[in-house]
Amino acid sequence: MDNLSNFIHLDLITILYLFTVGFIGGLVSGFIGSGGAFVLTPAMMSLGVPGIVAVASNICHKFPKALVGAMKRAKYGQVDVKLGIVLGVSAEAGVLYGAHVQEGIKKTFGDAGSNLYVSVAFVIVLAIVGGYVLRDAWSIYKAGTSDHEEKVGKLARRVQAINIPGTMVYFPSLKTKISILFTIPIGFATGMLAATIAVGGFIGVPAMHYVMGAPSLMASATELVIAFVMGVGGTIKYAWSGLVDVRLAMIILAGSLFGIQLGAIGTTYVKPYLIKVVMGVIMMLVLLSRGIVIPVYLSDLGMITHMDPGLAKLLKNVSFSVMIIALATGAFIVLSALIKGMRAHRTEKETAAAIGVFTGHDVAAAGTQLDPIGRLERILLVTDGSEYSTGAVQEAINLAKRCGGRLRALSVIAADSEYETLGAQLLKKEQDNALAHLRELQATAVAAGVECEIQLRQGAEIYQEIVSEADDQHMDVIVMGRRGRSGLLRTMMGSTTARVIGHTRCSVFVVPRAAHMEGRNTLLAVDGSRYSDAAAAATANIARQCNTPVTVVSVSSEEASPMRQKEVEGNVARIVRLLSQTGIAARSRLMKGRPDLAIVEAARAEGSDLIVMGSHGRTGLDRMLIGSVSERVIGHTNCAVLVVKA
Amino acid sequence: MENSVPSDASKHVTKMVLYGLATVSLYALMFVSEERILTLTAQGGWYFMIPITIAFIFSFAHGTFTAQFWDVLGIKAKK
Repeated sequence: MDNLSNFIHLDLITILYLFTVGFIGGLVSGFIGSGGAFVLTPAMMSLGVPGIVAVASNICHKFPKALVGAMKRAKYGQVDVKLGIVLGVSAEAGVLYGAHVQEGIKKTFGDAGSNLYVSVAFVIVLAIVGGYVLRDAWSIYKAGTSDHEEKVGKLARRVQAINIPGTMVYFPSLKTKISILFTIPIGFATGMLAATIAVGGFIGVPAMHYVMGAPSLMASATELVIAFVMGVGGTIKYAWSGLVDVRLAMIILAGSLFGIQLGAIGTTYVKPYLIKVVMGVIMMLVLLSRGIVIPVYLSDLGMITHMDPGLAKLLKNVSFSVMIIALATGAFIVLSALIKGMRAHRTEKETAAAIGVFTGHDVAAAGTQLDPIGRLERILLVTDGSEYSTGAVQEAINLAKRCGGRLRALSVIAADSEYETLGAQLLKKEQDNALAHLRELQATAVAAGVECEIQLRQGAEIYQEIVSEADDQHMDVIVMGRRGRSGLLRTMMGSTTARVIGHTRCSVFVVPRAAHMEGRNTLLAVDGSRYSDAAAAATANIARQCNTPVTVVSVSSEEASPMRQKEVEGNVARIVRLLSQTGIAARSRLMKGRPDLAIVEAARAEGSDLIVMGSHGRTGLDRMLIGSVSERVIGHTNCAVLVVKA
Repeated sequence: MENSVPSDASKHVTKMVLYGLATVSLYALMFVSEERILTLTAQGGWYFMIPITIAFIFSFAHGTFTAQFWDVLGIKAKK
């Protein structure tokens, strides 16, 4: 039984723990392609499994899992089998060399040495690659290109441009030839890392994406092929030395096969940048977890002064807790992205089925706006009396006149309870000024033949007051300027506008100071979602009242697949047809590139004085990460923008 | 139309149950023979075939079961 000393006793709690860890590892693995093993190896080590046995058992569970995951993702057309096999073969050599190094370390320095080596490798690799991945995800967010498939980076373009005769091989995922002299070292490094920490994907996926130029979705899927090829080799190598605990491997496999299927399904609902976010966040947390425990191994090896056992235990517990947080964070991001994506997809399908109900004829025949989608009857005009509101005031009155709508003018004074107490007199003066302005505005509206109510509110958050007023009064649209002065503090109305768009349930009409709608052209920006259909309904309402021609524009990614392109064209044609049926002069314009810039450019080229677009109404983390196309359009254009909520 | 849905769904459920039972049996067998398996695999050498074979068989049975499992729950890929 002496040769069984490497294998731990398994009780029900341990089995359930490994199953759960396996599920989450599989979930992450199916999503980002790189094994998810960075959580599995340390998780086993935390149970007292020697580092080398943890790595060996991990690799043994990994190849069947990778096989199942690769087959699943191949169904979605995400796998480049050729690239996977070419890289996998050189990775195999890396695995053999890596395993040899590992065994040498265990023989020389024992378990503590092996554990230290694995932990240090984790920290170094995760710091370099994780930092790079997170930086890239951040720059995608800043550039506002998150809605697109990624572009081939500078490094990849350079690598692809190098032609070494006799070594060039075509890979479908790269859509070009690349020298195998680049794939060999990448494969070798991937394999060596896999044999060391069982997560070769942390080199393989970023290398395929950043060095070779494969789209990140395909890189993560192709990594599963590499993982399979080298997993078989790695398992043979470790099993030959009797180091594989097949029980651990199969328990983890039980959980991870549930996870990998779900993770793979998840990739079909998310944008590519999210893979980088998940990968980067988890890498950093695991780095922290492994880094914390390094002093313990150093102490075991006598490389630093002997550590108090209590402190060593504490560090191990903290490391373990951080690992749990890394697991939970990864699972949370992937699962919430999946749930959100599935929900949005279902709603879009339902709306697409129901949109046939919408016809502009109903609007005209009834003389009023019967369709609740895109109705513009109850208009909330937000004004602060500044020059930035002048455009909004003018257009709100015009809109109410044209659409037979009712106007409600609102001013908000920014005041919290402290200000109310300390600056009572100032507040009173501010209220008087605001009321005077509202009454003046009311008189102007009435003179123009528009019914107008006025309302003054005060609160700490201006946008909340605006959103509440719109909700309380069941408004159809909020009309506001782009910048303004609000109470004591002059704030960027831009941020208030963005917050209103993010939180309100009704449409928002943003009118820059100098904007004037003359009915030249209305630009309707669509993306095939239900929000676009709502925007189309609102456009129909306005265009009929103003007798304005409409240009329906859709912007697709440079790398959009022919299928996606066809879908976009079909969607635009459908909306043009719907508008034409109501007697509106409508035509289409298909563009490629960054949506916000393309929409602004199209509006300029068409001489549009109004842009209408649907809003997904993102808030919180989602909005922070991907921003909002409508916000960017509002920031860049000089004409009025109507953001329609479904 | 409506008839085809339950028959399709029941096919998935049957497949899920069959592969689920196969998976449970395989795991039960592994734990019953736990010590024997470990003693053999710990010897290394050509016994490396044991974990490899176990991994392939388990992944086939359990992989098919999990795919059916999510499908039956209605969690499917987009498009």
